[in-house]
Amino acid sequence: MVRFNLKQFVALVLLAAMAYSTLSCAVASSSEAFFGTTTPPARNVLRYVTGDEPESLDPAISNGQPEARIYMALFEGLVEYNPKTLAPDRELATSWVPNDDSSEFVFYLRHDARWSNGDPIDANDFVYTFRRAFAKETASRNAYMGYNIKYAQPFNEGKVFARDKSTGAFLLAKDFDETLPAEPLSGTAADPNKNEYEQGAKDLGQPPANTPFHQAMHTPTRLTLPGDEKSRTKLLNSNAKLKAALANKELVPVKAEDLGIEAVDKYTLRISLTSPSPFFVSALAHQVFRLVPQKTVEQWGEQWTQPEHIVSCGPFKVKTWQPYDKLVVVRDPMYWDAATVKLDEISFYPMADNPTIMNLYKVGDVDAVLNHTVPNAWLDVVRNKQDYMDGVEASIDYLIINTTKAPMNDVNVRRAFNMSVDKVAWATWRKVVKPLTAFTPTGIFAGYPQPTGDAFNPEDARKLLGEAGYPVTKNGDGSYSCPKFPAIEYIYNTQESNKAMAEWMQAQWKQNLGITVTLRNMDWKTFMASRNKLDFNGFARGAWGADYMDPYSFLSLFIEGADSGTGWTDPKYSEMIDRANRTLDPNERYKLLADAEAFMLKAQPVVPLDTASVNWVKKPYVKGMYPNAGSLFAWKYVYIERDQAKWDYKTPSLAE
Amino acid sequence: MLRFIIRRLLITIPTIIVVISLTWTLIKLAPGNFYSGEKRLPPAIEKNIREKYGLDKPWYQQYGKTMGNILFHFDFGTSLRFEGQSVNTIIRRSLPVSAAVGILAYLLALLVGITVGSIAALKQNSRWDYASMALAMLGISVPNFVLGPILVLIFSLSLYWLPPSRWAGFPSRNLILPVLTLSAIYMAYIARLTRAGMLEVLRSDYIRTARAKGLSEKDVVIKHALRGGLMPVVSYTGPALAFLLTGTVVVERIFALPGLGNYFIQASLNRDEPLIIGIVAFISITLLLMNMLVDIAYAYLDPRVRYQ
Repeated sequence: MVRFNLKQFVALVLLAAMAYSTLSCAVASSSEAFFGTTTPPARNVLRYVTGDEPESLDPAISNGQPEARIYMALFEGLVEYNPKTLAPDRELATSWVPNDDSSEFVFYLRHDARWSNGDPIDANDFVYTFRRAFAKETASRNAYMGYNIKYAQPFNEGKVFARDKSTGAFLLAKDFDETLPAEPLSGTAADPNKNEYEQGAKDLGQPPANTPFHQAMHTPTRLTLPGDEKSRTKLLNSNAKLKAALANKELVPVKAEDLGIEAVDKYTLRISLTSPSPFFVSALAHQVFRLVPQKTVEQWGEQWTQPEHIVSCGPFKVKTWQPYDKLVVVRDPMYWDAATVKLDEISFYPMADNPTIMNLYKVGDVDAVLNHTVPNAWLDVVRNKQDYMDGVEASIDYLIINTTKAPMNDVNVRRAFNMSVDKVAWATWRKVVKPLTAFTPTGIFAGYPQPTGDAFNPEDARKLLGEAGYPVTKNGDGSYSCPKFPAIEYIYNTQESNKAMAEWMQAQWKQNLGITVTLRNMDWKTFMASRNKLDFNGFARGAWGADYMDPYSFLSLFIEGADSGTGWTDPKYSEMIDRANRTLDPNERYKLLADAEAFMLKAQPVVPLDTASVNWVKKPYVKGMYPNAGSLFAWKYVYIERDQAKWDYKTPSLAE
Repeated sequence: MLRFIIRRLLITIPTIIVVISLTWTLIKLAPGNFYSGEKRLPPAIEKNIREKYGLDKPWYQQYGKTMGNILFHFDFGTSLRFEGQSVNTIIRRSLPVSAAVGILAYLLALLVGITVGSIAALKQNSRWDYASMALAMLGISVPNFVLGPILVLIFSLSLYWLPPSRWAGFPSRNLILPVLTLSAIYMAYIARLTRAGMLEVLRSDYIRTARAKGLSEKDVVIKHALRGGLMPVVSYTGPALAFLLTGTVVVERIFALPGLGNYFIQASLNRDEPLIIGIVAFISITLLLMNMLVDIAYAYLDPRVRYQ
């Protein structure tokens, strides 16, 4: 057999590495304007890498971003993400109006929408889609996106109502929990003499009919109890009042028909919510709210998404699907706006390995790629090319602080740690991200008066620590030490980039405060468990991306009952947020939200670090595709430009 | 002979059961699950998912159901990650991709390996010999995750001659780089084995006899020397073929090929239990069958094996 000589082996590996790096440099030093070739495809098609293989073509199932982009080609909702701002554009809904506290919305649907098999689309399709999305059996991972629809959450959780056997009256939630916020308009009796849509829709004229269902929705929220015997007994044993009230009551499951969605007529849809939610329409472009075909789903079950069965309603329909190879969609002639659709075909390539994706892009086998694709080591070359997409993303990196354990339960200590991290230096080191001192991403929500948190100031940080009882002393060599400070830790899930980040933070605190924070890495599952149970003393790595384009998608993490992982919440904060959400005027609401964010930042339950960057590439001939904050594209506007004069020679602007 | 084959087949069944049970246990012990992502799901939604896929049942029920379906219906179930796609379909779809690349790499390795090995043996200690054996050493030492990207860098990214990745059917130019990458190590081994085998045979008495008879050098080499010299190669390539057929994780990953190996690595990362078990079982069965074929061939060639 083969003789194995270690020296030879090492020499060969070194040789290979040298060859590799030499070639890389050869690639790197090229001074072309674009990264790779710029020959448009021969046919009118777009070849796009959307990320990993889609889990399913069923928009209710997957919560992944690669799938979200595919759903945008195949399925439509009431609204669609604007290609630049991601704000909700009219799609199947031609208009909508909120009631006076944004706790109920009426949507008017277009009359000419059709499924890919030619069947017409009406309000009942939405009622079916919503009921299916929140059904327990569907097990949708996205169901939480619609938990603010009336009874959607208890329905999804398989809960039950309690009803009096003789009178038929339901027990009400407010009778058993005094801390509940005041009922929104949708939870109070509909007054026939008063138009609850008065402010929201000055030109609405007559509001839609006050049906019996609508009246039922306009009653105080019913009490819901766990559906399974065990957790119900546990709850009742801890609450004597509830136990007594349940005597002589029957338990009825929350049914699909109880959901706060109603087809008022064929083309009018009414959705009742549990709380004032002005952001609700922004959330409606999400995949979980996109239409699925009732007949096909009922006929084929789980198999309905297979290419031979699938019926869709978007600008494109499935042509072929070869898993881990490609999904080809073609223009759907049945689509109501088919005239706007410019591409004949889109090929979605499922790939997850960034260098492989970039190689394919460079040789011109694909025309555009998903976000976060340019590897860090390639950035110095690729970011200077004209086809590099530079833009902020609606997601942030931050550090979670466990505010329940000493010494981090002291706000001065938390502020000191925050002020001793140089976020500008951090962003420079990470190359494409933007430094952040607040909790909402910077430059995403137009018109939002984002507050600023404490700036980098090690001098003041040391002072704050001293006031908290941990004096920092300067050593002879210019370094600092803080001998009285107890041991704290920083936990993160095992990954090379997370480790580098942890070490960077550790160095900052050592340098500026003289405190050595212990780093502890763990596998993903253990990390999530420790983080959720507040089972760490110090810091945990955190990241958050917007579910919909509204600051509330970030700020809602800290309201009472939500789960920020920090242990921090404040009734005053929840109240400020609630007040903001009850405000109809968008500018006034943004101001109130910003006040709440500033209030939260003062308590410093987190160390904000950066607003992420989209970081992807597209060929200059691909037009109508913008580096928006969510990397979600309305495909009907995308086209291939063959006239070089009209190409994109820099990142296209997001300004309208 | 028939009894020998039947006995061997019967032994494979308990082997497969052990393999599947071990795999099942390892998956259950591994942290994480197929639905966990960066964002934490509300507990109620996690519960819905566990109920939908029967993951809330006690372990012996889950194990019994998995085993029963595999043994009595030869059904590995439906993938957890890819909703509605049966494991059997996934294997049927991805196997041809792996097999196409594998068989091409195998044939290339045989062709080049035997030719180079023979030349090296015939011109022992010549420049040809040293050069080809140095190359073979390189082929064995450079792992394919280094060789693949280097080939891509040269032929795709710098010269723009060949596509850097993706499957484009059979045959296509897309196959060239993955086949080269995959076959390199086998090529190198076969060249060395051929050279060693040939050198031994060339010194043997019957070759001397053949030469003495006045046969041409061509006849000596092809009719006599090569046959004897290839014996070690044959025993090496049997199991090698099994591995090549069932997909090669690294090469399929680097070149984004929708083969069995690619699915295997993804299934493991996704904790996709039925898919992992299905692929492991399939690879084990293929390997056992290949070994059995080698054993049958031995039994056929060497009567002593049969009567043991």
